[in-house]
Amino acid sequence: MKIKTFLLLGLAAALSGAAFAKDIQLLNVSYDPTRELYVDYNAAFAKYWQGKTGDKVTVKQSHGGSGKQARAVIDGLAADVVTLALAADVDALYDVGKLIPQDWQKRLASNSAPYTSTIVFLVRKGNPAKIKDWDDLVRPGVSVITPNPKTSGGARWNYLAAWGFALKKYGSDAKAQEFVGKLFKNVPVLDSGARGATTTFVQREIGDVAISWENEAYLAVKEFGADKLEIVVPSLSILAEPTVSVVDKVVKKKGTEAAAKAYLDYLYSDEGQEIAARNFYRPRNEAIAAKHAANFAKVELITIDAVFGGWTKAQKTHFADGGIFDQITTK
Amino acid sequence: MRNFASAVRTAVASATLFAGLPTIHAASDTDDITALREQLRLLDQKIKVLERKQEIAADDAATAAKSAPKITINDKGFTLASGDGANQLRLRSLIQADARVFTGQDPTITNNNAFLMRRARLIFEGTFAKNYSFLLVPDFALNSTTTLQLVDAWVNVAITPSLNLRLGRFREPVGLEQLQSDATAFFVERSLVSQLVPNRDIGAQLWGDVLGGTLSYAVGIFNGIADGANNNNNGENDQDKDVAARLFAQPWKNDGGSPLQGLGFGVGASFGRQKPVAANLTSGYRTDGQQTFFSYRTQSAAAASLTNFSTVADGPTWRVSPQAYYYNGPFGFLGEYALSTVNVRPNFPASLVGSPKVELKNRAWQLAASYVLTGEDAAYTGVVPATNFDWNGGTWGAFETVVRYDVLDLDDKAFTSPGGGYASLAAAAANPTKISTFGLGVNWYLSKAVRFSLDWFHTEFDNNVAVPTRALLKNDENAFITRLQIVF
Repeated sequence: MKIKTFLLLGLAAALSGAAFAKDIQLLNVSYDPTRELYVDYNAAFAKYWQGKTGDKVTVKQSHGGSGKQARAVIDGLAADVVTLALAADVDALYDVGKLIPQDWQKRLASNSAPYTSTIVFLVRKGNPAKIKDWDDLVRPGVSVITPNPKTSGGARWNYLAAWGFALKKYGSDAKAQEFVGKLFKNVPVLDSGARGATTTFVQREIGDVAISWENEAYLAVKEFGADKLEIVVPSLSILAEPTVSVVDKVVKKKGTEAAAKAYLDYLYSDEGQEIAARNFYRPRNEAIAAKHAANFAKVELITIDAVFGGWTKAQKTHFADGGIFDQITTK
Repeated sequence: MRNFASAVRTAVASATLFAGLPTIHAASDTDDITALREQLRLLDQKIKVLERKQEIAADDAATAAKSAPKITINDKGFTLASGDGANQLRLRSLIQADARVFTGQDPTITNNNAFLMRRARLIFEGTFAKNYSFLLVPDFALNSTTTLQLVDAWVNVAITPSLNLRLGRFREPVGLEQLQSDATAFFVERSLVSQLVPNRDIGAQLWGDVLGGTLSYAVGIFNGIADGANNNNNGENDQDKDVAARLFAQPWKNDGGSPLQGLGFGVGASFGRQKPVAANLTSGYRTDGQQTFFSYRTQSAAAASLTNFSTVADGPTWRVSPQAYYYNGPFGFLGEYALSTVNVRPNFPASLVGSPKVELKNRAWQLAASYVLTGEDAAYTGVVPATNFDWNGGTWGAFETVVRYDVLDLDDKAFTSPGGGYASLAAAAANPTKISTFGLGVNWYLSKAVRFSLDWFHTEFDNNVAVPTRALLKNDENAFITRLQIVF
């Protein structure tokens, strides 16, 4: 009996030791242009979390087109958290994978969108194609770079911003569809993600204008130089709200729930918001937004809810198989 | 005048015309150049677009290839794997064709010089969702009792990298050489130490590597089996279970360049409490040449008497086995010791009332060494030749020499009466008190998958009597064993 008792105690000790492991690994599955943001943020969070709990947390990053990334998580990529370009891609984690609860968006402030962005134009120095507003993108002969809305969250924002402009200016969905159709006829290459589209425009020197996330455009100018690129702010754009969520099924299985939740909560902290602003994302925190106001152009912003009736409807109408985007591109 | 004026006008007009010609030519050239430049720009864009599309297509193809299922056929078997490697099925095999020749033996032994299929196994293994794996190993090599035997069959759950749960039939974690793969041991047959430690049994085990892989642990609970035995038939002899555990350290495993990197040492042990049911938990022991040299008394219950009975286990059974190996370049060393303690008694009368119980302590040890003549590294997991044998290519694979000395010392109390008028628990005239074996061999690795071995075992018996009744014991055993083996 004594030997068996000792063995049981030994096993219990081994199991409890495993349960209180101090090294935590998180995987953040994100969309294309957030690489730099989360490199900065992960370091700050690791420091914060170690100070708070003593645990050492390492966050791995995965980036790609937002739609593709959501698909990868549904197919088994063990993401502790997702930080995707739009709510529709996070919705898919519930709709298709049942990996998160249906009301995931209510779990964090601002509909689980800790920072926002918008859509601007990136043009070559001197703006040789004279791009000033959305109308210029449908001119014959103008070459426009935007990624594929089927795989890229940013591309869906681009598409909807163009649609919103045309709807406001020309007054009907039919005219808006015609406008967006003309715009996509001017797109020579459809990359799968926003970073790929930036590569196409900046490094491969294709196109006269790239429709881009605001932060991605600023980053491109910063990296490649103001002597090569310029940003043009259109008369109207869209409020882009990248959303974040813990992947419940994964964190429960891995035992990383507390760290994963804290990871997302910390995005709303002063330090998290400051890091977002430094990486050209518009912070939710008003004081920090005011501090960085000079970095963000004032532009009229439409919202997905007001113009398109929310992401679920927009997704179904425009981007689902057989939707308007498919109709436009198969013409 | 008119003519003059006309002439002047004409001259002025002509001068003007001719003066204007270079301007017209220059404007035309500029337009052409501009048009050509635009054409060039458009062509350049078209080329860049085509190149980018190719680039994107290549990226997409590479991404698709990563997620596409993979089929691999190599010297590790036939593998079907999902793109991310988290799920895979592998088919492997182990085939050993032996020939045994015994010289100088008693002439009454007439049936042991033979060819035989020692092992003929298909090995099915797989992993699902990265953390769940299984192994299924049927053996088709015929033996005297079965035509198809399930050797290994287990399911493993990797809870964490350092904590695994395994359930099914597999080797109990006690003996060092016993736990080594059948295909990679120095000699074609394991040493006498493996006769005293349990082989495969059915149970559940927690195991893993900790401290950066420098310490391995395993602890399990099993149905319980005799020394050196396998539990081939889901057997359960009594309601009690055996517990087996092993700790094995390789402290310098991660210190590249350290001369102690290949040093490993540890201890394995098992403990059980047996009830007297038949003779299932008492063993016979075999020589390195696989001939039985020791067995307890056996007799049917109906014919049992004070002098002729079956010896059965009754009471605590425990084993302990300190062990070590050391590998450094082409040199390899393995040493282990095993103490097996069993409580036994005569199974007569059936009630066992008055039947005396005796605790026997049997001991064995071995020292073995190897040297790879062709310079490859020796390892517990076997030798990988730098080249394959290829007659036309002039390459010969790897050659390894091996040497071993092993001893098994049986408790003398097995050969004396336990009292009460009973005969000894094992017939003194039919069993030795101790045997010692010197082994010498050479292994030729024709490829990673193919090995040819030639071993010689010389065994001397310390008998209880001058003329033992077991024919094997009448002379030293000299066994020559060859093996051609394919494992992948």
